[in-house]
Amino acid sequence: MLFNSYAFVFGFLPTAAAVFYFAGLRSRIWALRWLILASIFFYAWWRPFNLLIIGPSLLVNFVAAKALMSRYVRERRALSSSILAGGIIFNVVLLGYFKYANFFVDVTNDVFQTDFILAQIILPLGISFITFQKIAFLIDVHARRVDTLKLQEYILFVLFFPQLIAGPIVHFREMVPQFRSLTCKFDRTDVSVGVTLFFVGLCKKVFLADGIAPAVSSIYDYASSGAAVSFFPAWIAAIGFTLQMYFDFSGYTDMALGSARIFGIRLPPNFDSPLRASSIIEFWSRWHMTLTRFLTAYIYNPLSVALTRRHLAKGGRLARPMTVNVFIKLLAFPTLATMFISGLWHGAGYLFIVWGLLHGAFLVVNHSWREFGPRPHSPLQRFAKAARPVAFVLTGLCVVGSMVVFRAPTTISAAGIFEGMLGVNGWSIPESIYNQLGPLAALLGTVGLSPGLELALPFQKTLVWLFMMAAIAMLAPNSLQLLRTYEPAFGWKLDPTRRTFGNWDAWRPTAAWALVISLIAAAGALHIGGESEFLYWQF
Amino acid sequence: MTDHEVLDTLSRILGELLSADSLELTMETRRSDVPGWDSFNYINFIVAVEQELRVKFGLAEIESFENVGAIVKQIQRAKAR
Repeated sequence: MLFNSYAFVFGFLPTAAAVFYFAGLRSRIWALRWLILASIFFYAWWRPFNLLIIGPSLLVNFVAAKALMSRYVRERRALSSSILAGGIIFNVVLLGYFKYANFFVDVTNDVFQTDFILAQIILPLGISFITFQKIAFLIDVHARRVDTLKLQEYILFVLFFPQLIAGPIVHFREMVPQFRSLTCKFDRTDVSVGVTLFFVGLCKKVFLADGIAPAVSSIYDYASSGAAVSFFPAWIAAIGFTLQMYFDFSGYTDMALGSARIFGIRLPPNFDSPLRASSIIEFWSRWHMTLTRFLTAYIYNPLSVALTRRHLAKGGRLARPMTVNVFIKLLAFPTLATMFISGLWHGAGYLFIVWGLLHGAFLVVNHSWREFGPRPHSPLQRFAKAARPVAFVLTGLCVVGSMVVFRAPTTISAAGIFEGMLGVNGWSIPESIYNQLGPLAALLGTVGLSPGLELALPFQKTLVWLFMMAAIAMLAPNSLQLLRTYEPAFGWKLDPTRRTFGNWDAWRPTAAWALVISLIAAAGALHIGGESEFLYWQF
Repeated sequence: MTDHEVLDTLSRILGELLSADSLELTMETRRSDVPGWDSFNYINFIVAVEQELRVKFGLAEIESFENVGAIVKQIQRAKAR
């Protein structure tokens, strides 16, 4: 069930919450069981068959966790490590089969010029996220960070519907203590904070992201056909998709956090205005934060620790200044490897891998600047503040450029958009605007500006929409800041170094805010029903 | 080893890595408090500490240290074994 469907907003969610609190009056055990039942229904809605894949996988992980927790296994290190490894391999293979079997066959065909055909395998909803969550869970159990494990709690932890399909990727230690201390009694604050977050997210998704989507799609489709895209449409497509993606996925996340909060549960933060970042390292600490956390802890760190240990054991040094050789071995390699896996995880396709490696390369450049650029106490740091806008623009260009690769259906369309952005295909604007330029038109004509757009595009409307989205992404308080008084996400606190404008933009349960949120909710609810899916559901 | 001794060693190791001479860590210091102490330098630091103090950290520990104090405690536990 999509978060942005009538069935969810006006059917499933209110019913699930009402029954939950009604049952909670009598027994919290039954309220929690209802939550499990509702989550199963939520998951099965799209394709009940998926349950037959997720169910057994859930059980295997539970058995592996139970085994890891038994005293017999705990006393035997090798056995416990092999059970952990076996569990991780099981999860990865399951994901690999459903997500990558077709891609693997394609690659084989490309490389060896063969013609194998595999029946199209349908991806069980949310399996990419569920897989990562379960791997993190097994590692936690192995590290003895899970004290007790009951089947019912485990099922609720895995299936809790707000985070089931597309994250945030949660840890057992963040969720289960919350379920354990949940009273299941109606709480006005939790419900109103949850509803507010939900509708802010809905509006971001169906009003803002879906609002720009048709224009973006039409330009990418046009580029896919091999036609030349000129300067302005190319930039509209690139920046437009970046903003669409941000509002789509952060809107989705707000809806997830909001739905969970309606039941009194806080999910971890996933977005913190990433488009305001002034470095790629910072970008990844604010975009899809729970994925970054997962990749750092379970892929980058193990790789990097192993390599660094080996380096030292062989008599290598870490002290500064660092040699380029050591930098490549200990940083560039694990970073690129991690981002390669990230790319592959995002989608089974060459362009996703390119996207991942591109971000890996950005991160390496960012780190090499830190390593080989001006030191923290160098006199050049005086210019750090002045250089910030430059850093911001550079970061933005990297993100926008990488998003072209992420969005483009084919290499041809990606290349076409890049050519357009570089001005290779000329600068044209709609005739109606050109004619209003008067004498300026002749002047701009000398630098190649020409009248008549090559494709049908509501040019002015799209530009207005773009500026509005950009302004919101850059300047408005984000949804977590808006609700900062009520700890909107698990463990989230307002960064004290971030500029705020007093407290007038902090949500409170007042009539004025109720009006504002109602307007946002109405804008969202009235735009439900367009043919749109969350971009991240396909992963 | 006392808290103070461990802290001194940790401060010196991190200072060398970040080329910051007068770096002083306390039990409450977090990574975000020290400029330049990013994920890369963190791993460098952890492994350098492992080598110098002859301890070994598990991956889950490396991920979960909340502040310098947690690292100090873990070192003392490992040393006491």
